[in-house]
Amino acid sequence: MSFVEKMSLSWLIVLAAIVAVRGFTDSDPGPGAAAATPLGGDRFKIEGRAIVPGVKAQDWVSTARVLVDGEDYVGFLRTDGGFSVNDVPSGSYVVEVVTPSYRFEPVRVDITSKGKMRARMVNYIKTSEVIRQPYPLQIRSSGPHSYFMKRETWGWTDFLMNPMVMMMVLPLLIIVLLPKVVNTNDPEMRKEMEQSMNMLNPNPELPDVSELMTKLFSGSKGSSKASSSKGTRPAVKRR
Amino acid sequence: MAKLILLLLKCILLCGTVYAVFEDQVGKFDWRQQYVGKVRFCHFDAHMQSSKKVLLATESNVFAALNTRTGEVLWRHVDKTGPEGNIDAFLQNGQDAVLVVGNGRFLRSWETNIGGLNWEAVLDSGSFQSACLIGQQGTVKNVAVLKKTAISLHYLSNGHQKWIENLPDSDTVDYQTVYSGGNSEVYVLGVVPHSHIAIVAFSGDDGEILQQSSVEAPWLSSIPESCQMVDQDLLICVDSTTMSLYTLDLKLQLQLNQIPLQSLELEVDPDFRPSLVSHQPNPAKQPRSEFFLQLAPDHYVLLQFNNGQLVVLRDFKPALLVSFATTGEKTVAAVMSPKNKTVAPSSQASSINLFNAETGRRLLDTTLIFTMDPNGGKPEKLNVQAFLKKDDSVGYRVMVQTKDHTLTFLQQPGRVLWTREEALSDVLTMEMVDLPLTGTQAELEGEFGKKTDGLMSMVFKRLSSQLILLQAWVAHLWKLFYDARKPRSQVKNDISMENLSRDEFNLQKMMVMVTASGKLFGIDSKTGGILWKHYLENIPSNAAFKLMVQRTTAHFPHPPQCTLLIKDKDTGLASLHVFNPIYGKMSHVSPPALPQPILQSLMLPFMDQDYAKVLLLIDDQYKVSAFPSTKYVLQQLQEMASSIFFFLVDSNQGRLSGYRLRTDLSTEQIWEVALPTETQKIVSVKGKKPNEHVHSQGRVMGDRSVLYKYLNPNLLAVVTESTDLHQERSFVGIILIDGVTGRIIHEAVQRKARGPVHVVHSENWVVYEYWSTKSRRNEFSVIELYEGMELYNSTAFSSLDRPLVPQVLQQSYIFPSSISTMEATLTEKGITSRHLLIGLPSGGILSLPKMFLDPRRPEMASEQSREENLIPYAPELMIRTEWFVNYNQTVSRVRGIYTAPSGLESTCLVVAYGLDIYHTRVYPSKQFDVLKDDYDYMLISSVLLALFFATMISKRLAEVKLLNRAWR
Repeated sequence: MSFVEKMSLSWLIVLAAIVAVRGFTDSDPGPGAAAATPLGGDRFKIEGRAIVPGVKAQDWVSTARVLVDGEDYVGFLRTDGGFSVNDVPSGSYVVEVVTPSYRFEPVRVDITSKGKMRARMVNYIKTSEVIRQPYPLQIRSSGPHSYFMKRETWGWTDFLMNPMVMMMVLPLLIIVLLPKVVNTNDPEMRKEMEQSMNMLNPNPELPDVSELMTKLFSGSKGSSKASSSKGTRPAVKRR
Repeated sequence: MAKLILLLLKCILLCGTVYAVFEDQVGKFDWRQQYVGKVRFCHFDAHMQSSKKVLLATESNVFAALNTRTGEVLWRHVDKTGPEGNIDAFLQNGQDAVLVVGNGRFLRSWETNIGGLNWEAVLDSGSFQSACLIGQQGTVKNVAVLKKTAISLHYLSNGHQKWIENLPDSDTVDYQTVYSGGNSEVYVLGVVPHSHIAIVAFSGDDGEILQQSSVEAPWLSSIPESCQMVDQDLLICVDSTTMSLYTLDLKLQLQLNQIPLQSLELEVDPDFRPSLVSHQPNPAKQPRSEFFLQLAPDHYVLLQFNNGQLVVLRDFKPALLVSFATTGEKTVAAVMSPKNKTVAPSSQASSINLFNAETGRRLLDTTLIFTMDPNGGKPEKLNVQAFLKKDDSVGYRVMVQTKDHTLTFLQQPGRVLWTREEALSDVLTMEMVDLPLTGTQAELEGEFGKKTDGLMSMVFKRLSSQLILLQAWVAHLWKLFYDARKPRSQVKNDISMENLSRDEFNLQKMMVMVTASGKLFGIDSKTGGILWKHYLENIPSNAAFKLMVQRTTAHFPHPPQCTLLIKDKDTGLASLHVFNPIYGKMSHVSPPALPQPILQSLMLPFMDQDYAKVLLLIDDQYKVSAFPSTKYVLQQLQEMASSIFFFLVDSNQGRLSGYRLRTDLSTEQIWEVALPTETQKIVSVKGKKPNEHVHSQGRVMGDRSVLYKYLNPNLLAVVTESTDLHQERSFVGIILIDGVTGRIIHEAVQRKARGPVHVVHSENWVVYEYWSTKSRRNEFSVIELYEGMELYNSTAFSSLDRPLVPQVLQQSYIFPSSISTMEATLTEKGITSRHLLIGLPSGGILSLPKMFLDPRRPEMASEQSREENLIPYAPELMIRTEWFVNYNQTVSRVRGIYTAPSGLESTCLVVAYGLDIYHTRVYPSKQFDVLKDDYDYMLISSVLLALFFATMISKRLAEVKLLNRAWR
């Protein structure tokens, strides 16, 4: 006897679960959705609240509207940021808070023919996917809209970090600084360098650009300093 | 992996290259004008003496607050269009405004200071009749809403219902008015036409019926039209058949007391229905005992109830409009009367005067002159804002509403503070016309025209024109210098008719706008200033307009010419209005009378000897008439008749038919396509823009071969929607038909989809948007037509000789928002890439590159597709706010977007119109033909200077070195 009672109780629970599931079947895409119900059916209310963190609701509600499925149903925001869109028949809708100043994510709201509500994330590609969101809606702004591109501003760092400039500046530094670091007065050293240069330069007839540059720069230095050792070298070659 | 990274990089690059606005460009070449629509209810915010606000509820379902000093919109709330957002009543109490919306469906209370909603209440269904505020002991706490069968009372603080009562005998009695005189009783007045008045008095506290009676009134048919409440619960009615006033005390409710007008020595104009104007300054108190009685269109009488006696205080004739206003304890009557009695009142100034309401005496120094615009309409309504001056006398400002939906706000002695052209909230169609050349420019152009002169004279001419140019340049420089010293605000608005001339790149044009009210506007596209306006009277309310530019400004000295075809949608009868689009003047060319209903109109590409394009009108007998119809034109028409084809669309019968013109200007049907009306209906037919240029004939593929576009100028895109709206069976169809031969090029059906469908048809593609009922989302679909790898006849296109069927490619995408309207950008030569401009319900105008809507987007990126710059297919199109061409300047209820080419190939001029008007320029491929406005002149010049000095210095050094060397 008690067993039968238990059975019936569990049945009831199962039935209740089925009913609960049934409650949302028509919100899924496909057949049986509420758009087919006649217009004279029950009308429901979508409620919620929009919040812009750090900004008083009074400062932005006058420019805001709540749009349900485009402009099919329109709601306005109360002075505290709350809103309700009245007279909405059962179905599935995308609810959006629009204002030119702040960005709000849209929410999909499903209303069954009995008036049960649920809110979920909008996913246009997988329309049946359900990621629940609180209902009554709590829509939090993710910040102001970004309408503008940033101008490409010109700064010294941009200029210096440019790879082309880097390629120019680094060799220049080497050319200027190397003669100072390496003692060119040492004849052994010079011989060694000339040898390595010859090794690198297969055709000694061709004028070497880097050599020319070193000559030019060391030459100008030499002239200003009027140092004998530096000044003589190009002069010797000329002779 | 590497490929993926490359792809990502490419995507980023592509996204980076599309157009966006820079922050410093705000307001540089764009402007927006906000409108509210034709005013239905108007209240001046009077709860504070210093308030600068006027609250307007309009026929466009907009509730807005304007700044009375400047006329700018402080805030605005745009409701749904149509009867569901219709504002039925507007009551004001302190800083709260109570609106009844949607035939009594909603009751809304707005906080007028910040423009936010206090509360919204849903009322029971039932057709709305009347509403009023209920006051008790000097404070207003409730609002009463009268429906056909019930009356309900709501708390003003939260909108909750206090009580609701059914009305007795509501099936026979037509309850029309609800009234409260400051005590707790609420009177509901109903009428049984031509029988009696029914009066029900409810207790304001609990809705109990205190009294119920009926009074014989066989002459009465409508209470709001002929009755008003005055004094202490006194109903006063006027009847034209018995020429009498009737009074009824609602408290005693004995019987109507008849007062013949003759006993007051007044007479009603024959054929005029007299009316009453009364005033209840505070809903918690009884109405004033003074009221106006209108006896003729221009005759008003101020009457007063004095201890049960009617007294005539003052007779106003002629008087156009009257109004009461109260400030503090003083009530005044404002009367507008024509200033000069002899001239017709529509074309001159009128004066407004204040009168003491209690005595009827004129108040001194209260005259205000209102000068009517000769191109506007007659005044329709007078709204008076009265205020107390420091010396306790009454000062006032008035807002005059005229028939052409203009609001003019004036203060004494006639200074116009601002005007608003609310007709512009309802623009139906528009065109952009090039501005004329200036005299000097025209002279320069003329120089190249004739070559008959001798050498010397030509040299002389050349020199003199150069001199003129120099002179103009110097003058321009001087003006620049002069303006630089003036504050910026003064410099801006000096555009006027005199200095209208084309700029270098033809970026400034004249916008000719046609509004639903029948008012035409000429607006300067650079500043948005209205340069001319012209009000066409007697426009039928359901008129359809078509605006055509017959002659552009290029044919100096012939003036440019625009023709507006106005057609009554019901009868089909049409009329033509020919005008000069630059100055707005009526043309001296008299348009032909059109006795027959017009079916179709078309502009032919050829011109008459005066360079006006020929307009063909086809009437319902399929007879063709031409305008202008000179001998030359008729002769030309006869020659060209064999190549003139046109089509007619009959959406009721689902029929598309093509016709050919015969030489005797009759027509002959050559094809017909019938769509079964049981299953589908034609919703729109779109051809291509006649001024569209296509630069490239084909597309270069990844393997260097060319895919030729199918560029048929006669192609029509016909959109159909299913009549069955069940979401399983509804569909949207698109048919591409050749307009000359009637050949169906392509047909596509989108199952489980419904409208509204938005279509753009251009070049070789059609883009359309629909609602997918299956997935509950908006989808875009693009169809592109290609001839194939070789062109059939590359020199000329003929619809009659195209044996090959084009290749059709189609692809669809998800769009994450519904759209209001859609248009494609247009440039001078069609070299610039195309963008789609999409008006969104949120008010943004999205500039979406056509590149994203390309049916050749591959699913997997290959080497060749990358070569071609094709973006791999992604199902969802993005809405990025950076792509909004109007940044935060939202445009409400975008109805249309107009695009026009400018003189610069990179630049396209865009006008979005709806409730607001927004104009900007867009650069779909960035500004490739002019220096950008952020061009760094400083950097370039400093680098140049630095280089110059560097060469100088190094030269000097080299010289020194050479000298040194020579010395050695």
